[in-house]
Amino acid sequence: LISFHDHTLMIILMILTVVAYMMTTLALNKNINRFVLEGQMIEVAWTIVPAIILIFIAMPSLRLLYLMDEIHEPTLTLKVVGHQWYWSYEYSDFIKVEFDSYMTPQDSEDKSTFRLLDTDNHTVLPMNSFIRIIVTAADVLHSWTVPSLGVKTDATPGRLNQCSFLMNRPGLFYGQCSEICGANHSFMPIVVESVNTNTFINWVSSVS
Amino acid sequence: MASRLLFSSLRQVQKLQKACIHGRSRIGNREVVGFGYNGQYSYQDRVDFPMPAIRFKESTPDIVALREKEKGDWRKLTLEEKKALYRASFCLTFSEINAPTGEWKSIVGLACVFMSIGIWIVILEKLFVYKELPASFSEESKKAQLKRMIDLRVNPIEGIGSKYDYEKGEWKK
Repeated sequence: LISFHDHTLMIILMILTVVAYMMTTLALNKNINRFVLEGQMIEVAWTIVPAIILIFIAMPSLRLLYLMDEIHEPTLTLKVVGHQWYWSYEYSDFIKVEFDSYMTPQDSEDKSTFRLLDTDNHTVLPMNSFIRIIVTAADVLHSWTVPSLGVKTDATPGRLNQCSFLMNRPGLFYGQCSEICGANHSFMPIVVESVNTNTFINWVSSVS
Repeated sequence: MASRLLFSSLRQVQKLQKACIHGRSRIGNREVVGFGYNGQYSYQDRVDFPMPAIRFKESTPDIVALREKEKGDWRKLTLEEKKALYRASFCLTFSEINAPTGEWKSIVGLACVFMSIGIWIVILEKLFVYKELPASFSEESKKAQLKRMIDLRVNPIEGIGSKYDYEKGEWKK
């Protein structure tokens, strides 16, 4: 990913330098050209050359895009269903566990709650294992996002969208609904709690 | 009344600018001296088309006499006569055409006026429109949230967690 970024940035910088040079020389030039019309040769040139440059950018980009989507044998599957205006989670791999996750109300006593980000039930997931998330919605469009994990998946009613991730440190990861879904769209956050595998197993058995 | 004034002034402008359609000259007594900008009998002061199609002023007997004198030795012409000949054919000299107009002052002034209107809108909004900040923006609340973030070790690689020295229990220097 980093080398693709470097490659594209190099091309962008080259183009920028050329354009900036042209602009400064043209602006500071004292000549006046009276007949700047119908330059067909140069127009063909400045259409074909960017097309070639874009092909050079597009080829690695598409290859990376498909590479990023590969699935690596997930250990766990989590089903996320978006409702108006909360998320509900289902772990049905071993024992059936289902719960809803609402935002904690804003005027709580505890000063250290993160306003608009804390929920009553955290989504507990084991760390260092590949997790597959299947997202859908029950009523309108939502989007399940956790920016720290690089995950954003739209929840569309009638469709299952899949994405996967791996967490390699324990902790809380926050996110918010990312598709406008009505009055309380800003008030349906997501909290993923990453724990070690034993704690996860204990938690699953205690919740069910 | 205003529309009649407008139309009469427009007609004057038309006479000067579109002095020729299909070769007919409506230019008064002014002499035609060349092709000009686009073949029409118009006068324009342009740096890229320096020779207009017609002379600027109408031919009077003095100028006609001067032109006869011009056909002879130029050293016999005085400076005043040379200037009169120039001004009869042209409206402005090149340095007058290229002279700065001072237009930038009015542009900058207007831009400042609009910017200040924008700033006034923001000030009035702050005074009259916006509500109070929620309770979690108080100093206590922010401190408690920051402490919680440090305890949770959020963003330990490049963010808040990386700026705190967990072994010593204080911020990194």
